[in-house]
Amino acid sequence: MAEPLERLTNLLALLLETKQPLTLQQIVGELVGHYPAGDAAQRGAFERDKTVLRNVGVPIDQEVLSGDQAGQTGYRIDRRRYELADLQLADDERQALQLAVAAVRSDESWGQEGLWKLGGGSERPSRAVAATVPTFESLPALREAVAARCPVSFDYRGKARVLDPYGLLLRDGYWYVIGVDHAHAEVRTFRVDRIDGSVLVGTPGSFERPLDFDLRSVFPTDPKLLGEPENQIRTAVVRIAASHAPIVASEVGDDAIVARAGDGSIDVEVPCVNRDAFRSWVLGMADHAVVISPAEVRTDLVEWLTAIAGTDVQ
Amino acid sequence: MSRRGPRPAHERLRRLLVMLPWLMQRGEVSVAEMAERFALTEDELVADLELASMCGLPPFVDEMIDVFIDEGTVFAGIPRVFTRQLRLTAPEGFGLLSAGRAAMALPGAEPDGALGRALDKLAVALGETPGGEGVVVDLARPPLADLVAAATDTGERLAITYWTPSRGESTERTITPRAVFVDDGHWYVFADDHRSGAERSFRLDRVLDAAGTGQYDPIRDVTLPDPGRWFSGDTDIQRITLRLPTELLWMIERYPTNSVTSHPPPKRGPAVSTVVMPVTNEQWVRRLLIRLGPRAVVESPAGWVNLAADTARSILANYDT
Repeated sequence: MAEPLERLTNLLALLLETKQPLTLQQIVGELVGHYPAGDAAQRGAFERDKTVLRNVGVPIDQEVLSGDQAGQTGYRIDRRRYELADLQLADDERQALQLAVAAVRSDESWGQEGLWKLGGGSERPSRAVAATVPTFESLPALREAVAARCPVSFDYRGKARVLDPYGLLLRDGYWYVIGVDHAHAEVRTFRVDRIDGSVLVGTPGSFERPLDFDLRSVFPTDPKLLGEPENQIRTAVVRIAASHAPIVASEVGDDAIVARAGDGSIDVEVPCVNRDAFRSWVLGMADHAVVISPAEVRTDLVEWLTAIAGTDVQ
Repeated sequence: MSRRGPRPAHERLRRLLVMLPWLMQRGEVSVAEMAERFALTEDELVADLELASMCGLPPFVDEMIDVFIDEGTVFAGIPRVFTRQLRLTAPEGFGLLSAGRAAMALPGAEPDGALGRALDKLAVALGETPGGEGVVVDLARPPLADLVAAATDTGERLAITYWTPSRGESTERTITPRAVFVDDGHWYVFADDHRSGAERSFRLDRVLDAAGTGQYDPIRDVTLPDPGRWFSGDTDIQRITLRLPTELLWMIERYPTNSVTSHPPPKRGPAVSTVVMPVTNEQWVRRLLIRLGPRAVVESPAGWVNLAADTARSILANYDT
């Protein structure tokens, strides 16, 4: 029998060249000596090859035939769907894309493989300026679903979700998929790395994304603003010791400074809609930050610390 | 690029389908150049091309892929099949688009430049609606990134004010930036630190101020640290073992860990995990523990079992007014 690579290459060529869909029997007849004898073994080997070709990205059409082959499945490859559409990239544009791929550090070589098809070469990874872009197996399918307006379903935190995906956003080192959650009929955000298992993609053209929808603004950059919109208290004033005042001022901006004391300490007003994120931010400065007001938020923090203070092991 | 073990048939096919149309256009090329271009060893390339040249169906038996190799040069004959590139796969499309959008967010990118135009064409080909980007990369570039990135080009030394959280103070230092990179949502400058005489990574959001000095060092290439592997492999580093409710694991997912063990759920109460992680210093551990809260327990080292309670008490003293 032929080497797997040889058999795959010949099968691909045969399905590309044929004008009529070919049955498995005809394929085996053309590829003499490539497939094992016996119907079951032939079928098994052919199915495996078909899977490999599809995984490589080859679109194989199959249809149930009529006439004297009635009931049998015929296979062929449509050249128009097989071939890459010409992107008409100018040389400088191709070069720019190549540099972009080289500037991105990723666990997968997806970008490089795509670049070769567009006529690009291999660029050595950029040393001077680089960004890490994390990859997950579900990202390519999610992106295609966004472009084709397909609903997607997946498991997330133990629940099955169905989503009209509006887009993917990389922020803070995490990929998010953002879209309308069918169960809640409102826009929700999901961390892609927390999706359990695979993503099922539904029918194209199932929804419209609003024209003015902006992925960037759909959820806030500051985690202290995330979630819990029913929370009445939206900001708190925190006193920052002089030692930490410059770094906090550069983080929150001068507009957030509501008071300056003679000892160099400053009072800043920051969001506390998400109480967990707020507490984490304050305690990240240990005893250099004190919640001043409102009383409820201050009490929250005192209770939290008191509970920890009671965990002594003798 | 190096690889171990035999390459599976689908990998070889994938690469072959990319190489053949390119080769048909090119006509002739040295084995060395082609191997480097497509990230193969010369032996791998020759083996794949020789096998391809044996493929064929009637009426093109043994000549369907008209390629031969002589004296280190690959020659393409009459193009028959495989003259055009295969369409982009879903991962390739995602890889190109996300890389392009990430690069647009880095210092030096121009929205109207060649990359912007290339991305517009790519987005259309990949089915994105104009004005409705489906893949957005937001790197939240800090204001100083451009100045520091420019210094990697010129070799200019910068005087910086750098905030060190473990000491709670800022220091003045002089650095020669070698690279700027974004990892896990943070911006870093990798630089020669003239204070310690060593290469160091500094977080850009902790650089309070930076200014050129007018002094220049020769430009040189550096090897960036691997993403996410800052110090977790170093055996000299102190470690901590924590037991905490599994639902709190997300709070430490940003930090390197040596092991995370989730225990079988108990009959009553929440599931619990044990985490071993490297620590930089005691101040860092204090801040981590008080953020984790009363349900996190230090198992070792023994000297730290009451660290959280001590820290909480010292902070509470600020509230006794």
